[in-house]
Amino acid sequence: MSCPIAGAELEPARKELAHNLRTSGLCIDYGACIARVRSDVPAFADAFFQLYRHFELSGDAAFVDFHIELGRGEGLRRWVRPQSRFLIDRVQPFDPFAASHAFPHYEWGLNWTFAQRFNQYVLLHAGVLALENRALILPAIPGSGKSTLTAALMLSGFRLLSDEFGVLRPRSGDLLPMLKPVALKNASIDVIRRFGPRAEIGPTFAATRKGDVAHLAPDVASVAAVHQPASPAVIVFPAWREGAALDLQPQVPEQAFTRLAFNSFNYGLLGRIGFDAVADLAGACPAYQLTYSRLEDAVETLRRLVTALPGRANG
Amino acid sequence: MAERLSPPLVCLLGILQDARLAQGLTLPDWEAVIRLARAARIHATLGHRLLANPDCWNAVPLQPRGHLEAAMNFAAWRRHLLDMELRSLCSQLPAGIEVVLIKGAAYHTQHLPLAEGRLSADIDLLVRREDLDATEAALVEGGWRSTVTDPYDQRYYREWSHELPPMQAKGHALELDLHHGIAPVTSRCRPDPAALWASRRALPDSRYFVLDPADQLIHAVVHLFQDTELDGRLRDLVDIDAMVRALPGEDAALRALVSRVSQFGADRLFWFALHACQRWLGTPVPSVLWPAPPPMTARRLMDWMLPRTLLPRLPEAGLGLGGLCASQLAKWRYHRMRMPTGLLLRHGLEKGWRRLALRGAR
Repeated sequence: MSCPIAGAELEPARKELAHNLRTSGLCIDYGACIARVRSDVPAFADAFFQLYRHFELSGDAAFVDFHIELGRGEGLRRWVRPQSRFLIDRVQPFDPFAASHAFPHYEWGLNWTFAQRFNQYVLLHAGVLALENRALILPAIPGSGKSTLTAALMLSGFRLLSDEFGVLRPRSGDLLPMLKPVALKNASIDVIRRFGPRAEIGPTFAATRKGDVAHLAPDVASVAAVHQPASPAVIVFPAWREGAALDLQPQVPEQAFTRLAFNSFNYGLLGRIGFDAVADLAGACPAYQLTYSRLEDAVETLRRLVTALPGRANG
Repeated sequence: MAERLSPPLVCLLGILQDARLAQGLTLPDWEAVIRLARAARIHATLGHRLLANPDCWNAVPLQPRGHLEAAMNFAAWRRHLLDMELRSLCSQLPAGIEVVLIKGAAYHTQHLPLAEGRLSADIDLLVRREDLDATEAALVEGGWRSTVTDPYDQRYYREWSHELPPMQAKGHALELDLHHGIAPVTSRCRPDPAALWASRRALPDSRYFVLDPADQLIHAVVHLFQDTELDGRLRDLVDIDAMVRALPGEDAALRALVSRVSQFGADRLFWFALHACQRWLGTPVPSVLWPAPPPMTARRLMDWMLPRTLLPRLPEAGLGLGGLCASQLAKWRYHRMRMPTGLLLRHGLEKGWRRLALRGAR
């Protein structure tokens, strides 16, 4: 069985999915991987069904990559200052969170699991979006406004592949979607609310270890294309600076290579495989440093940049 | 022989024996096989076995193939780290002291096929007992620190064990175990260090030595059956299987191995290892290799305990009452193998008392 959750008429289906989530678990197709998640933490289900509303959720999948449980605290902590525990293959790799933060806990745990286990790919720390399968790669260090820009681009018609992982396939050189809700932090939450009044933003989780966090649900078009890889077209290193005029500076390939490699989760681990894949990427795509203060300007500049490039692959 | 193994476990054991068996697997089969292999830490080994045969490798569907590739990439990185660590240790270890690499580091530096995809958690070094203090001092000088701070535990390692407590160095991914023997000084089966040293082999272009191949095999057996609680140790059996398959064919060499096993008093452990390898990994065992079989009761007990402890389980599959009893028995056996009764009682009392005292102090 499988069915997207779209409206009130699907309430019975939603009930069944909620039942599955508590009992045998639900399978979520992220594109690059499929996770089965089981949870009886009450606060988790609401945020989960809101932010994954366009995803095809099902009770079963032919091959599940990660078996995850988000459980309630043990002993007294089930009731007193309740906790949520993240388990992968029944092992709890890190400390519990407050139960009210179960959803960000899951998102964070899934990112961790993916980064630990999916070393068949080069995992760039980058937002990835696409126009007609031409991918815009936004590698960035934390705090550079990558998630905010990624969210704004999706709300402006770009297809979202990923907010966190640029999943680069070593031999083919294309990028796989790792489509998850975009995690917006602190001031970004209101910035995106103002930018896209119809943006589907979930509850705000106050004072997590990364500050206040709220998530933007991936849109229908991005979810529909979750199995469609994209070809790298342009690499842009974004930097938001208050009051700055928009500035786009070309980057030489060597510079792009270094910045891509050092913004990767597993570049060192992959050795030669990582070197070859990142060198090919930096050699094939033009790269820029983008400084901006107004999201609208940045989005239009990036749209022009991606559209103006000769179409490398429209497959 | 009559134990019932789960279908995915039968699949995994089958593929380890003959990679061609992977060709008919469905995606759900693969999911379970990958999870079992991961639980046993042999998923990269499984990947290399399949990769060696292009027909088999090409038949692996995309999703499980991704997991196997990831595992092989990870294992290659660990081998690279091991290499770097061994190189940097060269300059830290005192020049006059001979150092033998054992277990993973030895398999790796000899380029044994079994090292392909094998994940080493630590580096095991063997020195002569009289060189132990000087070697330890040099390692401490090089930034390595003991992971054990409790004085009783330190004393336990130094007086009754065959190795110092594991050492770590800041910024180094691998732990280091410094040994002066390959079995606890108090244990039932204790290969004579002098005999091991006498037949050590120098590695070409290296400051390191390895044990004689026969001793490497015996060490793997003694380690598995005396130095572990047998839980989830299919990987050790896979090592032993590969070493038995790689034994020279000549009768004389096999007989020399058999007498070495006897000399070290490892007959019984060796028999159990061969028996388990033959049973689960289809290891062809030359008939001259078999020591005299252990008594029937010991065999029955081991036949009951091993499948419940040593073989991997899916994480969701609980231990069950049988499994729980078997793992308790394996724990008890582990201690019993390491210490004579008097010492075991003393150690048990000390540990029990300390646990009570600790609880009282909280």
